[in-house]
Order: sequence, then C-alpha cells, then structure tokens
Amino acid sequence: MQAIKRFINRMRSKSPWLLHFDCGSCNGCDIEILACLTPVYDVERFGIINVGNPFHADVLLSSGTVNHRNKKVLANLYAQMPSPKLVVAIGACGLSGGIFREAYNVVGGIDKVLPVDVYVPGCPPKPEAIIDGVVLGLQKLQSLHEQPSVGKGA
Amino acid sequence: MDIRAVLTALLVLAPLIGAILCTLLRTQAVRSAIVLATGAILMVSAALLVPLTPFKLSLASVFGLDLHRIVQVADFILLLIILFYGFKHRHLVIIALGLFQVAMLVTLEFFLVSGPTVYERINCDHLSLMMVLIISVVGSIICYQAIPYMREHEHHYHVAHSRQPRFFFVMLLFLGAMNGLVLFNDLTFIYFFFEVTTLCSFLLIGHDRTTIATQNALRALWMNSAGGAFFILGIIAVYRETGTLELQNILLPGLASSGVYLLALALLCVAAFIKSAQFPFQSWLLGAMVAPTPVSALLHSSTMVKVGIYLVLRLAPGFAGTFLSQSVAVFGAFSFLAGAALAVGQSNGKKVLAYSTISNLGLIFACAGINTAESMIAAMLLLMFHAVVKALLFLSVGAIEQRIASRDIEDMRGLYAVMPVTALITVAGVVMMIMPPFGVLLSKWMAMEAAARNLYVIIMIALASALTVMYWARWAGTLMSDPFAGRFRPERQPVLTWMALGPLCAGGAVLSVFAPWLYLWLIQPVLSGSYTATYTLKAGVLENAYGTFAILPLCGVALLGLVVAVMALKRAFKSKIVPAYMSGLQTGEPFFFLGPMNQPVKAEARNYYLDSIFGEKRLTDWVNLGGGILLTLIVGGAL
Amino acid sequence: MTRTAILIACGLIAGPILGGLVSGMDRILTARMQSRIGPPLLQPFYDVAKLLFKESLVVNVWQVFCAYCYIAASSIALVLFFLQSDLLLILFVQAVGAVMLVVGALSSTSPFSHIGAHRELLQILAYEPLLVLVVVGFYLETGSFKLTSIYAWREPLLLKLPFLFIVLGYVLTIKLRKSPFDLSTCHHGHQEIVKGLLTDYSGPFLALTEIAHWFEIVLLLGFCTLFWATNWFGMVVLIVATYFLEVLVDNTTSRMNWRWMLSYVWGVGLTLSLVNLIWLHQG
Repeated sequence: MQAIKRFINRMRSKSPWLLHFDCGSCNGCDIEILACLTPVYDVERFGIINVGNPFHADVLLSSGTVNHRNKKVLANLYAQMPSPKLVVAIGACGLSGGIFREAYNVVGGIDKVLPVDVYVPGCPPKPEAIIDGVVLGLQKLQSLHEQPSVGKGA
Repeated sequence: MDIRAVLTALLVLAPLIGAILCTLLRTQAVRSAIVLATGAILMVSAALLVPLTPFKLSLASVFGLDLHRIVQVADFILLLIILFYGFKHRHLVIIALGLFQVAMLVTLEFFLVSGPTVYERINCDHLSLMMVLIISVVGSIICYQAIPYMREHEHHYHVAHSRQPRFFFVMLLFLGAMNGLVLFNDLTFIYFFFEVTTLCSFLLIGHDRTTIATQNALRALWMNSAGGAFFILGIIAVYRETGTLELQNILLPGLASSGVYLLALALLCVAAFIKSAQFPFQSWLLGAMVAPTPVSALLHSSTMVKVGIYLVLRLAPGFAGTFLSQSVAVFGAFSFLAGAALAVGQSNGKKVLAYSTISNLGLIFACAGINTAESMIAAMLLLMFHAVVKALLFLSVGAIEQRIASRDIEDMRGLYAVMPVTALITVAGVVMMIMPPFGVLLSKWMAMEAAARNLYVIIMIALASALTVMYWARWAGTLMSDPFAGRFRPERQPVLTWMALGPLCAGGAVLSVFAPWLYLWLIQPVLSGSYTATYTLKAGVLENAYGTFAILPLCGVALLGLVVAVMALKRAFKSKIVPAYMSGLQTGEPFFFLGPMNQPVKAEARNYYLDSIFGEKRLTDWVNLGGGILLTLIVGGAL
Repeated sequence: MTRTAILIACGLIAGPILGGLVSGMDRILTARMQSRIGPPLLQPFYDVAKLLFKESLVVNVWQVFCAYCYIAASSIALVLFFLQSDLLLILFVQAVGAVMLVVGALSSTSPFSHIGAHRELLQILAYEPLLVLVVVGFYLETGSFKLTSIYAWREPLLLKLPFLFIVLGYVLTIKLRKSPFDLSTCHHGHQEIVKGLLTDYSGPFLALTEIAHWFEIVLLLGFCTLFWATNWFGMVVLIVATYFLEVLVDNTTSRMNWRWMLSYVWGVGLTLSLVNLIWLHQG
C-alpha cells in the first residue's frame, strides 16, 4: 500500500501541468513565466506543460494583485481544478499586492482568495526563481494528503 | 382450404376489413381495438408464413369471381378516383397523367393481351417473405404508436371533428396493399397495388387539410402518378418483348442483349426510382414530411419507398452485366452521396431523416446495380435493417416533437433533461445506423466490399459514408447535451408509445446479432439460381474469399464494452459534478457566463450545418441536374 | 484458440506501451527540433499515471460513458489488427471510437467543447473517405481486404501504391493531430479554443482518451507497415521515416482552418487516390 502511495506521489511530481492565470499583473511576471517554456530554460524537461484549462492542471501559477472583479474568476478556476493541486503565487504583487496595494480596486495578494502553497518573490522574479518555486511546490505535492477547499474572500 | 392461400388472403384482406370497420365504428376505444387486432392478425399470419415459404399458387378465382377481372375493374376505379382528385383540385398534370394511364391500361388490357398470361398468380419467396415481415411487424407497430399520437395530435391542433376514422382507414388499407404488392406475381396486379399506395400517400399527406399539406399531397400525387405512367409503359414494353406478365418469367436470360427489353426494364426502374424518391424526384418525399409522423414512418421510410427497391431487386437478375446495370449502380451511388450531403445542411429533424432515407435507398439501388451475389445480400440486409431502425427514429422524433412542439435539432439540445428515455432510445437508434456490429453497418461494409472494383461507385460511397457519420453524430451529441448531469427521472409516455419504441429498439439490436442466420435462412435461398453466394459462417464469423466480419465475437465484445461503460457511468453519478469550462466566468446557470458590467450573458454555440456548402438551396439544383443526367444515361443507354 | 488469446493479449499490451513510447519519442524529437532538450522518454506514461489518480470531476456523466466507449473501440480495432482481420472492418470499428469522442464532447455545455467537437467531425469528414480509398487500393492490388493476404503479398506494396501512401500520410497527419490539421485539439499545450474537444474531460477520463489515442497511433502505424510488409528492415525504415516527416510537418506548419483543410485534403487526396486507383484498375 505504501509503495503504491509513493509511486502515485512520484508520478504527480514528475508530470506537473500548469495553469497560468494573470490576476491583474503588469505582465512582467507573465513574460518571465513564459520565458521558462522557451528553449533557454525548457521546463518541459521536468514534464511541465502549460495547459490553459483548469480541468487538466495540477499547479495554478498566479501573478498579479487580485482585484474585486477577477477574484471570482480565480476562485472558479481553483474550484475547477481536480485535486491534488498547488497554488504558486508569483511576484511581489501576487504575494501582497506589491506597489499597487493601496489602490481602491485591489484585494491585495492571492492568499486573500486561495490557499497559497509557494511564494516566489521578485518584481519580476527570474525564471530560475520561478522554476525553483515550482519544484519546491512539487516536493510539497508529494506529501499532500488532503486538499484544502477554497478559503477566504471568494 | 390451402393454408397458404388463407394466409395470403388474411395478409391482404384483413387490413381492408379492419379499415372498413374503422370508418363504420367511430368510437375511439373500438377503433383502437380494431387496429390492435388487425396488427396482431398481420403479425401472426406473417409468422405462420415463415415455414411455408417458398411457394407459388395459381389463384384464378376468389368466391367464384375471376380474380383478374376484380383487379382490372378496381384498377380503373382507382384511376378514376385519382382523376376525380385531379379535377377537384384543378391540377392539370394529375389529370393528364391519369388519362394517360387509363389509356395505356385500356391498350394493354383490351388490345395487347390475348389469352391468360399469368399462371402462377401468387409467388412468395424469401424476398417477399422479408417484405411481408417488415410490413406486417414494423407496419403494425407503427400503427400502434399512431393511436396515442393521433389522439394527442388532434388535441394539440384543436380538431373539432375527429378525422381519425379516415386516417386509420387509409393506414390499414395501405398495409393490405403493400402485402398484396409483394405477394403477387402478376405485373398488372403489382401495378394496381402500386397505384393504391400512391393514393394512400396522397390522402395521408393531405390529412391535416392545411394549404401546405394539400400542396405537398398534390405534388406527391402527380410525381407518383408519373411513376405509375412509367410503370405501365414498362409493362407494355415487357409484354411486347416477352409475351408474359409474370414477374418471375420476364427475367429470361437470352433477352439481355435486346435493346427494347432493356428499355422496358429501364422504364420499370425509373418508376421504381420515382417511388423511392431518388434524385431528381426527391421533392415529393421532402414535402411529405408535413404529414403526421406515423405516416412518415410507415410510408416514407419503412414500406412504401421500399416498393421501388423491391421492384429493382426483382428485376436485377434480368439486366446483370449490362450497361443498364452499371448506370443504375452509379445512379444509386450518386443518390447516396447527394442525400447525405443534403442531410448535413439540414437542421429540421424530419428532413434529416427524409434525406437519410433517400440516401440509404440510393445505396440499395447501387447494390442492385452492381449485381453480384455479395451486393444483393448487402441490399437485402440493408433493406431489412434500415426499415426497422428508420421506423424507430421517425417514431422517436414524433414523440419528441409532440413534447417540445418543434422538429428542429437545435430545439432538441439537452433533450435528455426533459425526456431521458426517449433521448436514449433516439441515440440508440443513431448508434444502430452508423456503428458496428449493427446490421446497417454490416450491410454497408458488405456493399463497400462488393463495390470496390467499381471506381465511380466506391468513391461516392466512401464520401457519402463519411457525410452520414457527420449528421448522425451531430444529432446524437445534441440530444445528450444536458447541463444538469446526474438526475434520471424517466418521463411518462402512453403505453402504446413504449410498446412501439421498445420492440423496435430491441428488435434492431437482436436482429443485428442474428444477422448471420438471417443471411442463411432468408437471403441465401433467394439468391440460389441467379447468383452463387460465397459467404461462409463459422463460429459467428461471416467470411468469404476476400473479406471477413466477425459478427458474433464483435457483438459479444461490444456487449462487454457496454457493460463496463455503463458501470463507469453509474460510478460517475457519484462523482463531483462541476460546471463546464467557461474561462472561469461561469455563473450558477448553465450556458451563462459573467459578461461586461457584471451581467450574465448566454454563450451561444449552434451546430455546424455548413449551409453555404451543403445547404438545400445551394445543392438542390445541382443534384437535380446530376440525377437528370444519370437518368438519361440509364434510359438512353439501354437502347 | 490459444493463439487467438495470445494475439489479443499482445494487442492489448502492445497498444499502450508502443503508443506511449512513440508519443514520448514524438515529444523528444519536437523538442530537439525546437533547440530544446525535451522530456524523458517515459514522460507520457508519467502523465497518464498522474491523470489516473486525480480526483474525478465530471461535467456530464455521458462524457464518462463516451470516454470508455472510445478506449473500448480503439483497443478492439487494434486487437482486430493483430488478429489479422478485415481492414475495412477495422476502419469502421475505429470510427466508433472517434464518433463517441465527438458525442461526448457535444454533451458538454461549454462552447469550447462544442466547437472542438464540430471541428473534429469535419476532420473525420476529411480523412475517412481517403482511408476507405486506401483500403480499396489494397484490395485492387492484392484481391483481398484481409490482412493475412496483404501481409503475404510478395512484393512491397509501396511500389504499386505510392500515391495512396501519400494519401495515408494526410490521414495520419489529421489523426495524429498534427499541424496544419490540429483544429479540434492539440497535443502541445492549449490553443485558441482551449483544449477543444477534450476541454471538459479531466483526470482519469482524460487518461483514458490519451491511452485510446495511443492505441490509434499504433493502429495507424500498423497501416503504414502494410506498405512494406516483405522485409522487417524496410518496414522499420518506412515507419521511422514517415513519423519523422510527420513531426517535421507539425513543427514547420501552422494551424489552418477547416475550410482549407476540407478543400485541400479532399482535393489533393481524392485526386491522388483516383490516379493510383485507376493505375491499379488497369494493371
């Protein structure tokens, strides 16, 4: 039984499929994320594919501050991802709202809507840092037993 | 009394008596009882006929009256009735055709025929038996479903004075006429029954008495009368060449090189094409879809349009190996292709079914034209399976139409939520039309293998077969597009509707499993003589020198796969149901997403009907032209 | 009887394994053409294993039914191929799967699924007649539809059916979902209608469609082997060269629309088929 569980966890970490959602970012983080897919960084070596569909995704890579309009979309997307799943918040805006924190429409960070597993700080973070963050998250995925439901602010 | 004569009489006359009783006794309950009883008598008689086939009877007189005289007189009365309707509606073409047919019949009966020409009046071989079974069983089931359908139909249209007695009179009369057509051997008798079916079709299409119904009924009448005109001309020509009017005896091998003989057969074929609504004569069948759905199911898919096929299948041995045969094959394949293409562009459910019918009949004609043993087997299998499955589909569409008050496929989107059982039965019907191991696909496979040497034919069949997949799959998917997955509450329908849909659905599946034995018992005996059938059956696998179809193993595996899939389905009911992907903007309502200004907006996605390529307006003229050219080839090439 | 059982087992095992390996090679080759390194060879197996153990989220329970029908039909078609049955029958059985996939996609209310399903129907419309004509070509040359006769033919069929091989190449491109015909769904990431046909399939059911696709890949490569059935070396060279060309075409063309696909594939395909079939008919 233990062997099977270990095998399943290993498979999950060997094939993490991403869903990239921009919650109001200036696109700086998004360009760095997409750079990871290019030949220079080539994250497909780790089996990572950027699927655009929450039904197929394991990891939600979210950049940007969340605003009052797209917090519902973010929550919907998270709810439509089958478990087990990870949330990785990218960039200073994703962590806490960054320099836009005081704006009237900004919620201020992804963890105000979803339970975040990995924070990747930077403005924008380097592709190596993003890859590092995802790999760290995969290690967490291996030891995940239950799935938290959508938390505050949805 | 000879039991065979009794059964034949029952099959032809019992419906006539039932029809007369329906008009005399005008209560609903009594009429339903009469229809049920007539259907039961027909089914039992047909079943009893099975062990007695093949047989021939020389029936000269009935109750002391000369049978030939009776039919002669009835024939003239019939033509006079048609003329009456022509005058009533002031339709010149009908009047002209009616007078022409009277003149031709007079010429034939009084000036040409001298002495008795037909000795064995009744001939029931396995092809006739197959037709009798289809007419009696499928036809009766359709009449059963017509009882609750017409009740609801008249209630819906607020018909003050019930016209159901007339309706059932004509329906039952039609069943008797069809049985007569396939059981008699005398070409003039067949012509008489041919005209009876024309009249029945006219009366039933115009049943609702609306302007469009009357218009379409008149169109059907004149086109089928034209068919009758070709028929009587063909009979005269055949008589001149062979000196006999017996269907079995006109197929003399030595005559195939005679131009006039082939022309006679070509004329008879043209009559058959008109009856089966092949291009360019398809407009009457399309127009006939305005009739109540049991009419469409009975006449215009399962039985009347099969008359043309029955005729050509009978005549096929007579023109084997000639240019006529080749041109009939190409014509049939063209019809198959054109019908399928036109069906792709249709969103009206009944019109899709109509074009699909024309298409499949075209394939059967193509098989008859190819004229080898394998293609004839394919033709007969397709005849049988198509009748059953198409009747099922028409009846389902009728039930759906009465519930949702629309025939459009777009309105049937998500029908599963409203009528789960009917939707499932319709999907089952669609599956039986296009997928192995069911009978329609078996016959298509056989037809393709038989046609493979004939380049024109096989290319058209390949194209058409892909088009058929397109319009059926589209329909099946639309029916199951249910936003609320998870509930299953069977809807309520009248008992007779379930009694009609259930047996047809089960029958289609069971017959498919028994297809090998149908081939051995029903079809192989018909072919012996003119063709050498080459298929062998071993462990449920149908095989010949160049092809093999593992019928029973595939049926078994398909059943296994179905069981596994259904088990998975049951497990899925317990899974978490989520809304479909709408870019995260889904609202609680299915189909709606959160649009600008935070307002819900409906996401519209219609089916692809490809109107600009396959639309009726775009293609009809071209296919009529193509059909006309091929017909000219057929008739001209015979000479 | 035991021989049949062994062949069935071979078919059921070889399908996923070979199909997965071919799929992995595909991804590595694509990556190398794009100056990347690419995933490990066994990556498709990791993907399917991961998908099988995800939570089942269902949009419409009929999609589950259709996913199972798809894999059942694909596997039966491959098993029939191993049993050396009738080519036309195999074609029809495999078409069952393709149609059930479409019906499943149509049963979702998402417009992405819907459009993907219709594009898939148009793809089926484009390739199915051509596949039938290729099979007819085999019949005209060898006199039989049965695989036993075709494999027993004494000379390589590629020499007599060159144009039909090119037509099979078109069919292969469409069925393997390669550009320029990857309209309905695509292997690499997402596309203009998200994942098209497969948008609402997730978790274990997506894994089933992937395994069914592997069965189809093996079946189609099997069709290719018929063109050089006399010699193992020639067969392997043919398959490798064909698949390499497919990946090359995939990486050097961009996606087109259905009108172009239908007119181009039918135009070129029917012409080439007709010419080759006429040759065979005369010869």
